[in-house]
Amino acid sequence: MSARRLVPAFWLIFMLWGIWYGAEKLSIRNDLSDLLPEGATETQRILLSQARKGLSGRLILLAVEGASPAELAGLSRSLAESLRADERVGMVANGAEVRSKKELALLKEFRYLLSPTVTADTFSESALRAALERRLDDLRSPLGAVVKESIPADPTGETWNLLRSWSVGNRPSTYGGVWMSPDRARALLLVEARGSGFDVDEQESLHRAIRASFGEAVKKIGSAAQLRMSGPGVFAVEAQRAIEAEAWRLSAVATGLVVALLFVSYRSLTLVLLTLIPISTAIVAGVIAVNQWFGFVHGITLGFGVILLGVVDDYPIHLFSHLTGRESPSSTMQAIWPTMRLGMLTTAIGFSSLLLAGYPALAQLGLLALVGLVTGALVTRWVVPACMGARLAPRDAHVGLWWRGDLSLTGRAPAVVALILAAAVLVWSDTPMWEQDIGRLSPLPEEKKQFDQQLRKEMGAPDVRDLLVIEEATTEDLLQKAETVAVKLEYLRTEGVLAGYDIISRYIPSRRLQVERQRALPDRQTLERNLKAALEGLPFAPGLFGPFVEAVEAARRDEPIGPEVFAGTMLGVKLESLLFQQGERWMAVVPLTGVEDRASLAGYVERWGDGSVKYLDLKEESNRIMTAYRDRTVQLLGWGVAAIAIVLGIGLRSAVLVARVLTPILCAIVVVAAVLRGIGESLSFFHVATFLLVVGLGLDYALFLNRPECTGEERLRTGFGLLVCSGTTIAVFGALAFSKTPALHAIGMTAACGSLCCLAFSAVTARKEEHVA
Amino acid sequence: MSFVWMVPSIWIVIGVAVQGLADDRSEIAWTIEQVAASVKERREPSVSFEEATYSSLLTKPLITRGILRFTPPSRLEKDVREPYRERYVIDGDFVTIESERRNVTKTVSLDEYPGLRWFVDTFRAVLDGDTTKLTREYDAALEGTKRRWVLRVRPRDRAGGAPVDFIELSGSEGRINAITVRTADGDRSVMTLSPGSGP
Repeated sequence: MSARRLVPAFWLIFMLWGIWYGAEKLSIRNDLSDLLPEGATETQRILLSQARKGLSGRLILLAVEGASPAELAGLSRSLAESLRADERVGMVANGAEVRSKKELALLKEFRYLLSPTVTADTFSESALRAALERRLDDLRSPLGAVVKESIPADPTGETWNLLRSWSVGNRPSTYGGVWMSPDRARALLLVEARGSGFDVDEQESLHRAIRASFGEAVKKIGSAAQLRMSGPGVFAVEAQRAIEAEAWRLSAVATGLVVALLFVSYRSLTLVLLTLIPISTAIVAGVIAVNQWFGFVHGITLGFGVILLGVVDDYPIHLFSHLTGRESPSSTMQAIWPTMRLGMLTTAIGFSSLLLAGYPALAQLGLLALVGLVTGALVTRWVVPACMGARLAPRDAHVGLWWRGDLSLTGRAPAVVALILAAAVLVWSDTPMWEQDIGRLSPLPEEKKQFDQQLRKEMGAPDVRDLLVIEEATTEDLLQKAETVAVKLEYLRTEGVLAGYDIISRYIPSRRLQVERQRALPDRQTLERNLKAALEGLPFAPGLFGPFVEAVEAARRDEPIGPEVFAGTMLGVKLESLLFQQGERWMAVVPLTGVEDRASLAGYVERWGDGSVKYLDLKEESNRIMTAYRDRTVQLLGWGVAAIAIVLGIGLRSAVLVARVLTPILCAIVVVAAVLRGIGESLSFFHVATFLLVVGLGLDYALFLNRPECTGEERLRTGFGLLVCSGTTIAVFGALAFSKTPALHAIGMTAACGSLCCLAFSAVTARKEEHVA
Repeated sequence: MSFVWMVPSIWIVIGVAVQGLADDRSEIAWTIEQVAASVKERREPSVSFEEATYSSLLTKPLITRGILRFTPPSRLEKDVREPYRERYVIDGDFVTIESERRNVTKTVSLDEYPGLRWFVDTFRAVLDGDTTKLTREYDAALEGTKRRWVLRVRPRDRAGGAPVDFIELSGSEGRINAITVRTADGDRSVMTLSPGSGP
């Protein structure tokens, strides 16, 4: 018959097209921020947009260690120098920064508007006299050559004062002019990447460039020093690579186990190869669907998705288990199709709830699973039988041997005991029900996190945890507000509530303040008179300070400046991270360092009684986001089960049967939750999402066990098929459970336990043979 | 060849040799090597200085006084006593600055101050008798006699942007009497040295 040739031919064409598509159109992205949700509250949106493009996410912390302090200082210099030439790097700070000419020129030009030390008194006779005397001392010191140039135009030293005011706060200790840890064991550098800290590919190539630069510097002087990197970008790369590596390694192990299991079960290489048809088609279709819908496939979606689609293997397994050799594969397929279709539909409902979770990472995964599942089932229905010989059947396996007992009788008591035990564990366990700390989901070893903390402390870098957020309608309002907040923060700093802060008003005063400073500038006559009196008896050359008088005169007429003046400079980059537009409003972010007591800080900020100033504990906030999504997923899980019940009701047309199918699944979930808690795991988002998979698996098992079948042999075959299905699932996810990545471990553990429990409970509640229709 | 001819030849050889020795003594030719060697030999652990800074910004020189100390091979200390107290200790590649008037104590690298590094290197080379370095990296010119010599050292590589035009050391035999540093813009400082650690 032509269909026997046509269908595989179509399938082949589709696969070839899929491979072409994969090569040409597929866009795999590795930017973790693509996976971040939008955020439900305003605070969360700020937080997440900060996480995406904020300064703290773009910082890379470098430590050079393992050599003498002098050698480390030299390496720090040469590394910083070569990194500054890299256009992917916005800024390199190692304690010996040089400011660009443009930046210094701007500072000089606007010093009388910007400098915090400009007051009406700055230009009085006595203040000028003191300043001039200080300049004389400067001139006779070895620094004379450095400061000489700026004296005629800036005798009060405002440019220096300005630069000094910017470097206040928690400065790292220095040695040899560069940042070095207090014990001089490591030189410290801070690199700001221009691109997002979460763009894993970009970050990785930057990290490689940094290592290469360092390698060259080390080679040049023959040093044994080593480079260590830390920071959000470094973590993102490490986390993703760790997850990917484990996902691929464990899926390779799992694939090996599954193939072995299948071969032992059916002892036919042909059948093992045939199982590859649905699963490979499912992966190709799923990936294409995700790419078309979202415009890209995330690397992590791909890794997880391939694992998830391992369950598609169940469909051909059902088919093979029911092959007797007496009838054609197509007719066997036709016989089990209604059950398989119902299972597929209900599982699809389960996965589609992932689409609604509003979490981009899960939406991709949901779509991939949904499309893959449906494709896998359809391919099993139409393609696989067409590819098989008419009488192909597994050598009669140990069907009877494997499935003799009737669990519906003997399993009842153990099942009830298990449920009671589970309930007891759930009620009395000391382990918290839900995982509250998002940090625990990070695949990074504790040692690395501590190293990061230590570097941040030594560097005085914001630890990406505590922030003040100020929000106003205009930049001017915002800067004015920031000026009042800065005063309060300074008080908190002297009180020891925090160690430091970085606020926009330190770099750019509000227009109001600039105008105020302008008003304090004396007119030409007054200034000349004061200067003349102050110069009395000092050995300065006559007429030397003409440029000073001109500069003050010019500053009196200057238009106040805004942050945009510094665009394109290192300072500009910094200002953009501290002040930005969010929708219609303007936001200032104030990173805080060294916050010891978060509750008391929150209390202080609250007592300021200003609604436009908020204190954010990023860690707390991210936990809140995760919790919100978990709760939403739990909710969707509930609705999904309800929808599944309705579809089952329509498909089975029997409330008793629906109960028979659903009860074991719900029991399984309870027991799995209890097992997880019993071994000391709190439920995270990943566990909950995996429950969806468990529901899908359980439905499949329960539906097949409750099929109206004619003969005892059929029942044995169903049971055998389910054992193989469950075996492969446990092999795949059991392998994942050994992962060191918390997310993979959670998924593996939940699914493996879930598969086993579902099968056991389904067998217990399955209808007995006398129910045969 | 007859033996008789040999006698005058030997005398000629001897005569030339003796003549050479005598020339060396009488002309008192004074080489950089000798300056360096005798400075090194006569070097004292500390000397007092009086430094006058002449600048286009000023109508008269500014004076500071204090003590210079040198501990071989590379530790150099400038201890300013008047009119304010300030101390610069240069050790290896690092300078420690202690300043009362600016209220700072910090250690910086010479790499940050190329001009200072240049000055320090030159000074060290002279004090340490390192003539190889002096003649390789600088245009060093020596004038005068043993009793009254002037050594002027200019950086050979001007591309480095050294703010210093030249350093001039003047002295008598192994003693340095004055050090003049002239910067590229024509300003200069003259440091007069006298033995002992002063008051």
